[in-house]
Amino acid sequence: MLAYVIRRLFSTLLVMAMVAVFVFLLLHLSPGDPAAIIAGDNATPEAIDGIRQKLGLSDPLPVQFIRWIGHVLQGDLGVSIFSNEPVLKLVGQRLEPTLSLALTTLVVAVTLAISFGVLAAWKAGTWIDRVLMVISVVGFSVPTFVVGYLLIYLFAIELRWLPVQGYTPMSEGLDGWARNLVLPSIALGLAYIALIARITRASMLDVLSEDYIRTAKAKGVANESMLLKHALKNAGVPIVTVIGIGVALLISGVVITETVFNIPGIGRLVVDAIAKRDYPIIQGVILIFSGVYVLVNLLVDLTYTVIDPRIRY
Amino acid sequence: MSTRREILKAATAASALIASPSLVFAQAAPTRARTLRAVMHGDLAAFDPIWTTANMASYHGGLIYDTLFGIDSQYRAQPQMVQSFNLSDDRKTYTFVLRDGLRFSSGEAVTAKDCVASIRRWAARDGGGQHMFRRVTDTPVVDEKTFRIVLREPYPLLIDWLAKASTNVCYIMREKEALTDPQTQITEYIGSGPFIYNRTESRQGARYVYDRNPNYVPRSEPASFMAGGKVARMDRVIMENMADPQTQVAALQAGEIDFVEWPSLDLIDTLEKDRNIKLEVMNQSGTMGWCRLNHLHPPFNNVLARRAMLYLTHPTEVMKATFGNEKYYRGCGSIFACNTPTENDANTDWFKGGQNIDRARQLFREAGYDGRPVVLLSASNVQHMTNAGLLYQQWLRAAGVNVELVTSDWGGVVARRANRNPPDQGGWNIFFTSASGSAYSNPVALAGHASNGANAWFGWPTDEKNEQLRDAWAAAATPEERMAAARAMQENAWNYVPHVHYGQWLQPSAMRANLTGMIGMPELAPFWNVGRTG
Repeated sequence: MLAYVIRRLFSTLLVMAMVAVFVFLLLHLSPGDPAAIIAGDNATPEAIDGIRQKLGLSDPLPVQFIRWIGHVLQGDLGVSIFSNEPVLKLVGQRLEPTLSLALTTLVVAVTLAISFGVLAAWKAGTWIDRVLMVISVVGFSVPTFVVGYLLIYLFAIELRWLPVQGYTPMSEGLDGWARNLVLPSIALGLAYIALIARITRASMLDVLSEDYIRTAKAKGVANESMLLKHALKNAGVPIVTVIGIGVALLISGVVITETVFNIPGIGRLVVDAIAKRDYPIIQGVILIFSGVYVLVNLLVDLTYTVIDPRIRY
Repeated sequence: MSTRREILKAATAASALIASPSLVFAQAAPTRARTLRAVMHGDLAAFDPIWTTANMASYHGGLIYDTLFGIDSQYRAQPQMVQSFNLSDDRKTYTFVLRDGLRFSSGEAVTAKDCVASIRRWAARDGGGQHMFRRVTDTPVVDEKTFRIVLREPYPLLIDWLAKASTNVCYIMREKEALTDPQTQITEYIGSGPFIYNRTESRQGARYVYDRNPNYVPRSEPASFMAGGKVARMDRVIMENMADPQTQVAALQAGEIDFVEWPSLDLIDTLEKDRNIKLEVMNQSGTMGWCRLNHLHPPFNNVLARRAMLYLTHPTEVMKATFGNEKYYRGCGSIFACNTPTENDANTDWFKGGQNIDRARQLFREAGYDGRPVVLLSASNVQHMTNAGLLYQQWLRAAGVNVELVTSDWGGVVARRANRNPPDQGGWNIFFTSASGSAYSNPVALAGHASNGANAWFGWPTDEKNEQLRDAWAAAATPEERMAAARAMQENAWNYVPHVHYGQWLQPSAMRANLTGMIGMPELAPFWNVGRTG
């Protein structure tokens, strides 16, 4: 097991190295010039050249890459071309809103989705099953930003129950923090709920048709115990897998949700950086995202061994 | 084992600990009523208003720095930090004396040394400053409050340049920052303006916080554009970076923010119906949309093809497609933008006659257009540019021109437009852009008005007469002489056609109805003088 974890951690480094090369080349070979954006529309070509020289953007690509990767290896993701602020500091400032949004979404979505999935499987073929699955299909089909706008209109503009936008740090009060996260979490979580609920239902239906469930029923095991203790645990592997895959969905969803609800998170940071061609920020954030994604996958693989003791690495 | 009561106690204590910074903050921060929350047209990506010409950097500069002179609502330069000034009899030496009591927010007094260093750094970057400094021989400091600018020849535009509000603005910094290489961004933002940048409360890319400068000494005259008393009536101004237009409007309606500089025109109808919101056009000189032509390569290296573009362009179709409501756009035939001091109607018969595709087709034929693809660069993330790309593609095809529309984001356009190669080797023939009407009205300050060949702005037009007329405009001693030079420049320009306009628009700003005293002006967002009723 330990050897497996070490092997996987090593492969994480390899993946991140490949991502680093790929992202660097993709950014520097695609059209766009941060110096021209900095200088502004009224700047002369000479002024733009001057800025490009100062930023080191006129150096050959291999020189720029070695300079950047050298800093990365020392834990320095560089400095924003525009604001002069260290990328790590900018990411640090944006970490709390993004983590808050992602975790609240994850907790709410997983709790609701598994409940919906188990209930739909238990009541398969009834109106409860159909209603829950219709909700799932709608949730997965309607884009996050549309759900976001509808929620804002209803709960913030019409009813005035919740704020339209913004983020209140946890340190400024849990009430404000929670109020700002309710609508974005629902908007972002809806697609996620749909995805997990459908997989949970399918996986539960498979398990519920197994002989040992029939035996349990024959022995008079209570419904609650049979569903949660016997069936759900055995249906867990595909559910955990889809939760892991869903993290990628969450990362892309966070970008849109942060924009609609004006949450100053990492998603907004990277979108703004792409528009401005702020290379150090884009490279740094994608590198971090790729690391997180690889680690989440490792965590998912390790969780299999907890759910199903037959799985060994 | 802990009891439930002990756990609750611990949780309460933990919550209080987590919330404690906010309690401290809440006592220190101004109340909501004394805070102005504004959503501007973009993010404040860079903070040095000399290093970049980005308007957001200039907005930041306008709040924290002061200027020696400022333009008033009649576009006349008025003393601001300057107490008095005089011009020598030979009109070659200006002497400036600073007002008493001027201090930077760091506490240091503003001195003549700070002013000279700031002027020199600004002049290294700004088009107007560079034009002026070609005639400057010295900038001696006389004493703590007095300095001079000595010229090789009389230069009547000097005060206008020091007062102008279009980027780059001659903001006065501490000598320490002003001595920074103009190609390098400054890292400390200390000014002597009506507000202080609060770096601790600001979050890059999210919000920028400005607190009232308690040591600022405003002039006694009423505020007028960048002139007069800059009295900060709000304790705090927060510029929020809110990217989504729908969210901006929703937040304004909910009262979470007070001001949206450029609300989406699609949502104007919604805002007009809300009695808690009012709409005002802050920049009456508007914004010009222009189609820049590449003079280096066929077909636009031929003046007849460039003239064809005048007839090809519909004066308002791009505007109509983009902005819908006629209240907020117009066609404009003046090369200096309409509703500006230099607007005139010289040589505008082509404009008065409206779009004439047949005439355009004939001119392309006379120019010897050989059917090679004409490359249009269009930015898909800027609505008026997208629409301009599609409509010009249609018009050019109607005139018998083979068109290749290349779409990217604006970042892609600004990179490719610098390429001087032929269009089939990475270059281009046409790109679309925009500039404030106020900047456009100045024949010297706007880089796009120069036609000095390889040194000109993208498109690289060459016209000797245009350059002579720009100099004549700068040297004009009276407003009448200056207007005559502007007319002559326009007469000449519409003959050799450096570029083409596709309209002028007036972007309304939306604000809560209880805001008072907002100063509407081009190029800057002055948040002094703004108050709130009720």
